[in-house]
Amino acid sequence: MTDITPGILMIIAAGFVPYLPHHIRQIFMLLAISLSAFSLTAGAGVHWSVAVLGQELILHNADNLTLPFGIIFHIAAVLNVIYGWHERKAMEHTAGLAYAGAAIAAVHAGDLITLFIWWEATAVTSVFLILASANERANKAAMRYLLVQVASGVMLLAGASLYWREVGSLAFGSMELGSLATWLIFIAFGIKAAFPLLNGWLQDAYPEATILGTVMLSAFTTKLAIYAFARGFAGTEYLIWIGAAMTAFPVFFAVIENDLRRVLAYSLNNQLGFMIVAIGIGTELAINGAVAHAFAHIIYKALLFMSIGSVMYRVGTAKATELGGLYKSMPLTMIFCIIGALSISAFPLFSGFTAKAVIMKAVGYEGLVFVYLILLAASAGVLHHSGIKIPYFTFFAHDSGLRPKEAPINMLIAMGIAAAFCISIGVMPTQFYQILPYSLDYQPYDASHIVGQFQLVIFAMLAFTFLMRFGFYPPEIKSTVLNSDWLYRRLIPQKCMPILNFAKRCSEFANMVVVTSGKKVILGTHYIYQHPITGPVAPGPAAIALLALLMSVLLLVNIFS
Amino acid sequence: MSNLNPQLKKMGNYASIFLLIIGFCLIIAEFFVHRHGEIDLEDLFIFPVIYGFAASVFIVVVGIGLRHILMRKEDYYD
Repeated sequence: MTDITPGILMIIAAGFVPYLPHHIRQIFMLLAISLSAFSLTAGAGVHWSVAVLGQELILHNADNLTLPFGIIFHIAAVLNVIYGWHERKAMEHTAGLAYAGAAIAAVHAGDLITLFIWWEATAVTSVFLILASANERANKAAMRYLLVQVASGVMLLAGASLYWREVGSLAFGSMELGSLATWLIFIAFGIKAAFPLLNGWLQDAYPEATILGTVMLSAFTTKLAIYAFARGFAGTEYLIWIGAAMTAFPVFFAVIENDLRRVLAYSLNNQLGFMIVAIGIGTELAINGAVAHAFAHIIYKALLFMSIGSVMYRVGTAKATELGGLYKSMPLTMIFCIIGALSISAFPLFSGFTAKAVIMKAVGYEGLVFVYLILLAASAGVLHHSGIKIPYFTFFAHDSGLRPKEAPINMLIAMGIAAAFCISIGVMPTQFYQILPYSLDYQPYDASHIVGQFQLVIFAMLAFTFLMRFGFYPPEIKSTVLNSDWLYRRLIPQKCMPILNFAKRCSEFANMVVVTSGKKVILGTHYIYQHPITGPVAPGPAAIALLALLMSVLLLVNIFS
Repeated sequence: MSNLNPQLKKMGNYASIFLLIIGFCLIIAEFFVHRHGEIDLEDLFIFPVIYGFAASVFIVVVGIGLRHILMRKEDYYD
């Protein structure tokens, strides 16, 4: 039973979800996730492999790196089921369960082909979470999302094929950049991890998904890429610089973005940067930091998306310009949102603090002063856009006049569980560190670290207060902030349109020439047939018999000559 | 900020004062706690205080600048 790859049972179960009545369906999904999680107890090793066309595909590989990702993906899947309990339509539940299952199965893939299959499965299943919004904007975003995700998959497959030719193995293990194969795989992972300039799909698609869909999306796709990097490219120096850029750039965009779910998508991108830096360093301490951060991040990011989702569920918008003053109407949602905000801002006693501290220690230990300073500034930035902006503009700021009811009970329960995780991870770092891939003897709670961290975050908050009071903070404006998706949504279509028009005209001309010539040939043949130049024309069967005779003679001559 | 209701404004004032008191205490704490960072620069006197404040202001200033370049109407892509 435990040999079955975790996640596969969830994918199979997803097939039954549309046919079950509402509450039974939710319980059924929880059971499927629990059964799937049971496979995590199999222990390290290869538990299931099949031979296909002379290749061994490893469907279930488990080790110290797969375990924490397996655990957190299952926790996220459970939270999603609870958070979406009110949703009666089956589409999101079916897609969400299959998507989570595919991501979990991908984590346990022992070879690149199996990884590719699940990699694409996450794309194909998750796109329905965007399509479920059922409006034109979401449909278009979904198609762009799918194109980018499939492109990532195709690059992974191309890279895997070349890699197999190069080294004669498809095993998914540590790789070194250098050949076309490894670069293709690296970029495929980079697209899914939302590298700078490859990140447009994330901020484009996530906020267009349904309320439940965005919460589901926030957990799996990008963290699967983080896992893939940790397994395949740990210690690749490029990642340090790419990750540092990832922590910095989204911060500026998040400050001026009006859609709070898009702000969270930017902040998700920024948090991935911390993990990528750590993977680039690649030491045991750094990989521990990346995994710890991924684990904590999935929960606090889900919590933040859930809280904004709850507000959106009640008032129908997540735009900062239309929100504000909801602290009295939705006090519990506000408390959970603030717990998520404190966690992502790395306040002591919250999960972000215990997770990020390991990465910062690893960066400092390697003497990467410049990178360290970027990460420190990005931490202040995170506090601004996720720690303050999200709760402030939603629950305080100006009074929007909205007086909605508190979030539904199932949403509150899901947020409560996530908040409990955030605090537990924050106050019990030693127990938390035990699930990491390597043993870690580190205590983040000493007076020096606590005072230093409080100084950073409190004075970043004071800066916000100062800027707000003196009117320097950019006011929320209904707008679109251009991101890297502008390249393929505007620039390339605009610049390529003249070329496409020229190509279209050429094609029309060629088409016309071919059609006209073809017509003339047909008419000419017809004319000759109707008007033989000399003598009577042989009847059809006789002409075929004559032709067959001639062919036979030619064949015989050819054989005996 | 123009349509702040009195209650929100009062809450904002209390929060600001609270933050200032905490901030002051944290600077005082610098004299009593031997604070050391992961890099040497961090060991400088009240480094996180200055860096946290300056980085935040820098991010907002750059953000405002970016708005001039990157901001379009809400229906830009529609």
